Parts: sequence; structure tokens; C-alpha cells
Amino acid sequence: MTSTGDEATDLTPRRWLAELAERERPLLFLAAFAGVMAGGFTILQMALLAWFLAQLLVANAGLDALWPVLFGLVMVILLRAVAQWVQEVSALEASLRIRRRARAQLLDHLAMLGPVRLAGRHSASLANQLVEQVEALDGYFARFVPQMRLAVAIPLLILGVVVWLDWLAAVFLLISAPLIPLFMALVGMGAERLNRDQFAAVARLSSHFIDRVRGITTLQLFGRTAEATREVQYAADHYRRLSMRTLRLAFLSSAALEFFASVAIAVVAIYVGFGLLGYITYGPSTELTLFTGLLVLLLAPEFFQPLRSLSQHYHDRAAALGAAEGMVSLLAMPVDPQRLPGAETPPTPPGVLVSLASATLTYPGRGAILGPLDLTVRPGDILVVTGASGAGKSSLLQLLAGFVDPARGRRCVTPGLRFAWMDQRPLLIQGSLADNLRLSAPDVADEAMQAALERAGLAELLAVLPEGLATSLGERGVGLSGGQAQRLALARIFLSSAPLVLLDEPTAHLDADTEAAIIDALRELASEGRALVVATHHPALMRLANQRIDLGDVRIKETVID
Amino acid sequence: MTERHAISLRTTLAPWLRLLAQRRGRLSIGTLLMALTLVSAIGLLALSGWFITASALAGTALAAGAAISLNIYVPGGGIRLFALTRTVSRYVERLYNHDTVLRLLADLRARLFGVLAGLDEHRLSRRRASDWLHRLTADIDALDSLYLRLLAPPAVAVVAVITLSAFVSFWLPVAGLAIAVLLGVAIGWLTWGQSCLGMAASRRRMEDLEHFRGRLIEQWQGLAELEAYASLASHRQRLDDIEARLEADQRRLGRLSALGNAVSGVAVGTTLIVVLWLAAQAYTSGQLSGPVMVMMSLAVLAFNEALAPLAIAFTHLGSTCVAAMRLNELEAAVASTVTPSQTLTSDALPARLDNVTLRYPGALVPALSSVSLTVAAGERVALCGASGAGKSSVASLLAGQLRPTQGKVMLDDKPVQELVPKTLPQRVAVLTQRIDLFDDSLAANLRLADPVADETRLWHALAMVELSGWAAGLPNGLATRVGEGGRQLSGGQSRRLALARLMLRDPGLVILDEPFAGLDATTAARVASHLDGWLDGRTVVYLVHDLGEQVDPPGIDRRLMLREGRLAPLPAPLR
Repeated sequence: MTSTGDEATDLTPRRWLAELAERERPLLFLAAFAGVMAGGFTILQMALLAWFLAQLLVANAGLDALWPVLFGLVMVILLRAVAQWVQEVSALEASLRIRRRARAQLLDHLAMLGPVRLAGRHSASLANQLVEQVEALDGYFARFVPQMRLAVAIPLLILGVVVWLDWLAAVFLLISAPLIPLFMALVGMGAERLNRDQFAAVARLSSHFIDRVRGITTLQLFGRTAEATREVQYAADHYRRLSMRTLRLAFLSSAALEFFASVAIAVVAIYVGFGLLGYITYGPSTELTLFTGLLVLLLAPEFFQPLRSLSQHYHDRAAALGAAEGMVSLLAMPVDPQRLPGAETPPTPPGVLVSLASATLTYPGRGAILGPLDLTVRPGDILVVTGASGAGKSSLLQLLAGFVDPARGRRCVTPGLRFAWMDQRPLLIQGSLADNLRLSAPDVADEAMQAALERAGLAELLAVLPEGLATSLGERGVGLSGGQAQRLALARIFLSSAPLVLLDEPTAHLDADTEAAIIDALRELASEGRALVVATHHPALMRLANQRIDLGDVRIKETVID
Repeated sequence: MTERHAISLRTTLAPWLRLLAQRRGRLSIGTLLMALTLVSAIGLLALSGWFITASALAGTALAAGAAISLNIYVPGGGIRLFALTRTVSRYVERLYNHDTVLRLLADLRARLFGVLAGLDEHRLSRRRASDWLHRLTADIDALDSLYLRLLAPPAVAVVAVITLSAFVSFWLPVAGLAIAVLLGVAIGWLTWGQSCLGMAASRRRMEDLEHFRGRLIEQWQGLAELEAYASLASHRQRLDDIEARLEADQRRLGRLSALGNAVSGVAVGTTLIVVLWLAAQAYTSGQLSGPVMVMMSLAVLAFNEALAPLAIAFTHLGSTCVAAMRLNELEAAVASTVTPSQTLTSDALPARLDNVTLRYPGALVPALSSVSLTVAAGERVALCGASGAGKSSVASLLAGQLRPTQGKVMLDDKPVQELVPKTLPQRVAVLTQRIDLFDDSLAANLRLADPVADETRLWHALAMVELSGWAAGLPNGLATRVGEGGRQLSGGQSRRLALARLMLRDPGLVILDEPFAGLDATTAARVASHLDGWLDGRTVVYLVHDLGEQVDPPGIDRRLMLREGRLAPLPAPLR
């Protein structure tokens, strides 16, 4: 997260997780409650078991008299299973809802940020954040959060029962109790450190692997793949030796917890045994019976069990915090005020589609990009934007489109103005050719689509496709060449009836045929009365202009050609 | 899960199980340590129960004035021993198994890298996107936990059931049998049953995640268009649909594993009650002593620990299968080779494409259609065309990284696929459009071309591309790291470094894709003159967008034009 002083940085990963949990309090509470109930049934189960054995062995009760106890045991076991099921299922539901909400929050925020503010982010890593990082919250909400409550409640419950049975045995458990927070902290610190180190090391190892995989073509071309394979093995092995060093220490903390649990059972067993033999005559030990002794023994491991579970789930917390950090840094990115829902853009006078008045554009860290600029776009205009690369041609289009707010000055727009957009990398979605065309006009008929493809010069392609418009384009347009993709984007513009068309270098890196087709098409669009704004350095496109802006010469000069 | 399903599961996981089997010694020791921990936990509770009961009975008898002696040292010592072994073996087991898993990770990565290295250019370029790399690493991680989640726990549980059953049978065979049957059925349910019930959903979940990732990438890449056409909402609907499917499957799987956990609790409870009842009958008929009866019951009770990890792991077995299947597909994609025998001469190499058609799987139109071209030994040809016209495909064919769908690719009058694998990289040098530099030093990146090149040669190569002055001015000189993907360098510097790397070799055919892209005119001209000398006596193919736009590559003899995968007539004669 950035450390700038704006109010959005108040959102810390911890606070975000807490906010997410707050909304699902009832379900998380139900999970914890069911968990405590399960703990209660466990105590009851142990009590019935101890009672059965004590009655049989000491009180010499007959089996006939004891079957109700067994029946009770059956019921308790079933009830405990149900309580556990309710605990897991309600925690799962909470986690599912929280993840859905977190994802929706991110998607909304990213959509508001828009294409310009997100330009620095890699689309694959954004997708990764919305898939893997949101999924990484699961363990925290489904397991860790409920378990945190259980780790307090159940040991207390058990301790209460043991005090009632035999306070001296409770003292043995209690001796370890002040140590429990200490060990929890140790476990926590161990896990935290372990996770930090692991995260860093895993990231290094992964980036080494990814670095080599990215360059695999080059390794092939130089005939060096065998060496690189050995290197990959060596790097992973090196990582192993490094991480084993930290693990030796990190595992000690959970070993300590394990040790206490084992010793407590052993101490309780020996105390109870000696007490029953009459070797101990101090305090309550003279009143020990097989029932109380067995029950104390059976409860001793249950006293530590919730803590052991918690320490197992500790990595869930670290993973969630790590993921939350990445997502919070996205949520902390400020949205341009005009792009907030409900924001009102000043309207243009009649006959003007969009206009800029002394508008400037600045990017953080890059200073002033554009302006101050004044321009108006009316229906039928062909405004050509020229300038050297880096002069801000794309930025001007983005400003007109409203993808970004002007830093100063104003952008006015006809209320409800629709516009078409085309840049060098047209969007191709996974789906049919028709799905891709419908992006710009959802309810359009097949005939219109065919006509649009024809106008865009794709009639030949359509003719050879066996399934016509229903032909699947495959993952990210694998089936189309660069020129064909560009023509498809053009067909989309034809289908949309948007009065304003914004085009960013529509002919870059294209062959001469496609280039000519696009220029013809643009001329046609203008003749339909649509306004065109084109950023280009292509002379043939420049000749279409009736209005031209050259960004190459420092500040703006609006030149009206005709 | 049908029989056929089970077989496909086995064949899917078989290669990975074989990989694990290479470390079977470590795996067995790790499993034994897990079993030891479990036995200690069971033993601790069972022996404690025995001791308490024996003490209570002895205490009652003593109080009644009977002369009874109870050896308190042996059970006391046993309890302490179990407490200690449980702690120590758990610690050692965690450490040892973690070490094993990390070793397996190293094995898996190396193996996968070996597989990737054998893929052809087409698959690699489609697969290069970093989203795919994310998936690849996730798939590897899914397999490295195969042992710890899916192999060791059921093995330990089965061994523990057999041991417990045998132990109990020593006193009461019928109880031993009950334990074997009831807990055996429970293990069967938790492994086989859970995995059958979860298979479809967990597989679908992996596929939906992949699908979801794809749609999200579309959303960010096409945000401008989606916003312009007001299609964000409908695209969001597509995302929501996938998410709803995902959620339904996750709910199904979560409930299923919760059910599994409940079943394991009920199974242990039921076994406890049955054993209790059988033992109580044996006790009342005098066949069994009280302490032993308690010991048996408590041993069963402690068995919960053995079943706990099974349900969740096996409910998600389908995910592991999908990961394994994807990696298997990769392995299967490695092209099988004709037994290669031919080598190349050490002179300039003539190159030829004979009526070559290249069609990528799934493409609507071929990348190259009936292309025939000949480049004589020592000739320099410029192959022009727009992006996507097929220039890179020609380069990949000549470098042997792609096989033509139809037609023949000949180097030195020998078919490329009949060449000994080592010989191609030695005799054909390619400057690719996208420059791959590795996160390592300048020297290491250069030595990729020649591992034994001394510093003098490296400096000479840098001088050829006008980088020696820059490199000499760096505080760390040749030891300077270039960063991930060469990020510390500008685009022009990366390109020149890659060019210098080529010049450390002695190829007979050189293919240069836009050699001067990103270079200013003065630098390009100077590099061109050095390059001209080095290219003497070699066959050269330049891949360029167009000639005459900036500084042209040196010494072009002939110019060819590619348009949409076909050789096209030239629009204008060469100046």
C-alpha cells in the first residue's frame, strides 16, 4: 500500500478483514456457537463413557442397568456430529458470502478506476488477485475466525468441569494455562515469521522458475535447456536447505504446545492413578473415584485440542493477511470524482457532442501530460490528433472518453452520449463471432452482423467458416490474425449506432489492404453523420480531417482545415 | 465413480506416483514417523486409562484390606515414554516430511521444466502469458502435496487400524474384528466415497476457476471497449454466472467434507460403543479384566486423530487430478522425433521452404499457405510484412522450433527434423522479436551463447553493439544484474545485448527480427556497420515490417513480402 497521506490509506488489511467479517457476524457466531455445543457434547460423551466404565467396574452394575447409558452415548455422539456439521457449514457459508462480497467490491472499484488508472497493472496479475487472492480468504473465515473463539471458550468450559471434579487436577491444567497465551504468541510469532520467510522465499523461487520459463525459447535456440533444467533443480534444492533452517525453529513452538498437551495427560494420569491408590492424601485426591479420575483424564487432551487446531489454522490467517494486503492496495487507489456513480458531468450546449475547456491532464509521477486544451466535437466532425509518440495522443482520447478526469478545466458531454472505441488491441472475448459482435449492440440481428462484417472486409472469412457467425473464436481470439481482429473491431463500430467514434492508432502495424479498408470505412462513418476522433500518424488518415490537433508542438494549437 | 473412472484416475496420477516412488525410502520413513506419532497418541491415552482403572481397582481392594500389589513403575514409565515419543516424533515427522515435500517440489519443477524445454514454439508462445505460468506453478504445488495429503494419511490410517485390531484381538478377537470392519469401512468411505462424491464438483471447480481467470483477463484487457459500448454490465453478468457456478460447487464440496468429518466422528463413536458393549460382556463373563477393557475403549477413542485429515483431502481429489491431467497433456505435447542423424556443414547454410503450409491448431486460417522460398548460402534476404503476416513462423520453421503442417523445410539441403538436435542451436542463430534476458548478470546473459567465453570476448561482443562504453561505466561492470526479464535495461539496450550474445556464436544461418527496433538512427547505423562485417560469409534472413522507414539492416540482396501467410508480389522495386 502506498504511504501517501490520503484518507483511503486508513484501510489496512486487518481492518478490511474485520469489516468483511462484521457483515457476516450472525453466521460466524452460529459457527462458533455450534462449535461450543460440539465441545459441550464432547464433555458429555466423555462423562457418559467414564460413568459407564465406573458403574460397570466399581459399582458392579449389571449390563441391563447400563444400556440407557450406552443409548445416551449414541445420542450424544450423533448430536456432536450434527453440531460439528453445523459449525463447518455455517462457517463455509460465511466464507462464501464474504468472498463473493470481496470480489464484487474489487470488481466495482476496478471498473470505477477505469482503463487509464489501471494501465500500470498487468491484466494477468489483476485476474490472479480476483481469483487466487480472494480464494485465499477462505481458510481465515471458514476456519481460523471461528476457531479463535473456540480456543478460548472450550478450554474454559473444560476447566470449569475439571474444577468441579477435582480442583487439584484443574491446577495441573491451569499451571499450563498461563503458559498457553505465551505459547500461542510463540506459535503465532513462529507461524508469522515462518510465513513471511516462506512467502519471500517462495516468491523468489517462483520468479526464478518463471524467469527461466519465459525465456525458454531463447534457451532452446542456444541449446542450453539441459543446463537450465539442472539450474531449476539446484535453485529448488537451495531453497529447501534455506527453508529447513527456519523450519527447525518454527516447528519448535508447535512442538512445545504438543509437549504440554502430552505432559498434562501424563501428569493427570499419574496423579489420578496415585490418588486412587491412596498414595496422595493431599486436598481432593482422597475423594477421587474411577469416574472422576477417568473423566479428568479424558478431558485433559480435549483441553488442548482447540489450541492445537488453532495453531494448525494459523497459516490461514497469514495467507489471508498477505492476500488482503494486495487487494487493499487496489481498493486504496483513488477513483476520479467524475467516475464515481452519481457524479454529474456538465452538459454541452446543443449541437456539441463533447467539448474540453482549458482541460489539463496530469499523471502522478509523470507531471503534466496534456493541455490546457480547448476543443469541441460536433456531429460529422473528423478530428485528427497527431504528434510524436509520447505526445499524449492516447491520453487525449481517454480524456474525451471520460476514462480519466481532467486535472484542471472541464470536460462537457451530451447527457447519455454513447461512443465507440477502437485501439490497436481490440478485445476478443471467448465465445462465438456473434458474441464478439454483440459487445457493441446486444440485440442486433444476424443479418445486420453479416452486413457489418461485409463492410469491414470480413465477408471472405465469414464465407469459409463452417459455422458462420456461430464459429467459436477460442481463447482470446487465437483463431484470428491481427488484421482480422482489427476488422472485427471495425464491424463492431458499424453495428453500434454511437454518434461519437474514438480511434487510437487504428492502422498501426497493419498490412496495406486492411489499412485501406479502415480508411474507407472511416470515411463512410463520417458520411453517416458520426463524429470521429482519430489519433494517428498515418498521412492518408490525416487527409480525412476537417479538424486537426498537433500535440507535437509543445502546447495546443487548434487548426481548422476547411 | 465407475470402474472406467477409477482406471482413468490411476493412469492420470501414475506418472506422478512413479516420480514420487523415486524417493520411496524417504516417503516410507516419513509415513512411519507419522504412524509412530499416532501410536504414541493412542498409547498415551490407552495406557493412562489402564493405569487409572488398575489403580482404582487396586485402591478399592486395598481399602477393603486385600493384599494386592500393583506395579506402578512400568505403566508410569510407559506413560512418560509415550508422552515423550509423541512430542518428539511429531516434531521430527513435521521436519522430515517438510524436507521431503521440498525435495519433491524440486523434482517436479525440474521435470516440468524439462518438459517445457521440449515443447515447440507454437505451444510455448500460446502458453507464455503469465496467467498460464501462475496456473502452472499452482498445478505443481497441487502435486507436491500428493504425498502429504493423499498418500501418507490413508496409509497411516490403514496400518493403525490393522495394528489396533491385532492388539485388541490379543484379548478379545471379536472386538478386534469389529474394529477392523467398522473403521475399515469408515476409511473406505472417507477415501473412496468422498472422492467419488466430490470428483465432479472438484474437477468442475478447477475448470471454472480457469474460465473465470480467462474472463477476468478479458475484462481488464478490453476495459476501454467494454466501457465505451456500455457492455461492462453484460460482461459482469458473465463473470457473475461463473462465480455463481463456482460458489455452488464450493458449497457442495464444503458440505461434503463437513459430512465426511461428521461421518468420521460417528464412525469412531460407533466403534467405541460396539467395543464397549463387547468388552463389557466379556468383562461380566470374566473373560476380560477391567483395566484392559478401559484400555481398549480409550484406544478406539484416540483413533479420531487418524481419520481427521482424510475427508477434506479426498473430497478435493478431483482438483489434484485436473492438475495432473494438465501437466500430463503438456508432457504428451512434446513432439516425438524422427531418429535424427544429419549434421550441418561449418559454412554458410543454404535454406529452403518447399511449398510450406503451417496451420496452428484451432486457427481459422493457416499462418502460412504454400510458401516456397530459397535463400542461397551467403545471401541476405529481407522478409517484409505486417505483424501477423507469418514472418515469425518462417523464422521458427527455419530454426526447427516448428514443424510445417505440409511441405518441407530444408537447411543445407537436409530436412530440418532429421538434424541432430545439438547441431541446430550451434549453426542457426535467431534474434527473436521479444528479447529474453534472464535475471542474472550481464556476463551470465552473454555466456548463454558460449559458457567458456573469456572477458575479452565478452567486451569485444559488447563493443560490436556499441555497449562497451556503457558497460564499462557501470559500477559493477559485467557483473551488473539485468533484473527480471532485463527490466533494468532499456528496450534498445536489451536488443543490442541480445545481438552481442548472438555474435559470440559462429552460426551459418542468422535470422534477425527487427534488429534495430528501439535504437536511434546514429546508434543503429554504427551497429549496422559492425554487424555487416560479422555477417560476412553467413546466410542471413532479416524479418522487418517494412524497409526504408528507419535504418535498414546492412547488405540486403533480395526482398520478399509476406501478406496474410502468403508470399506477395513486391509493391515497389528495391531502391
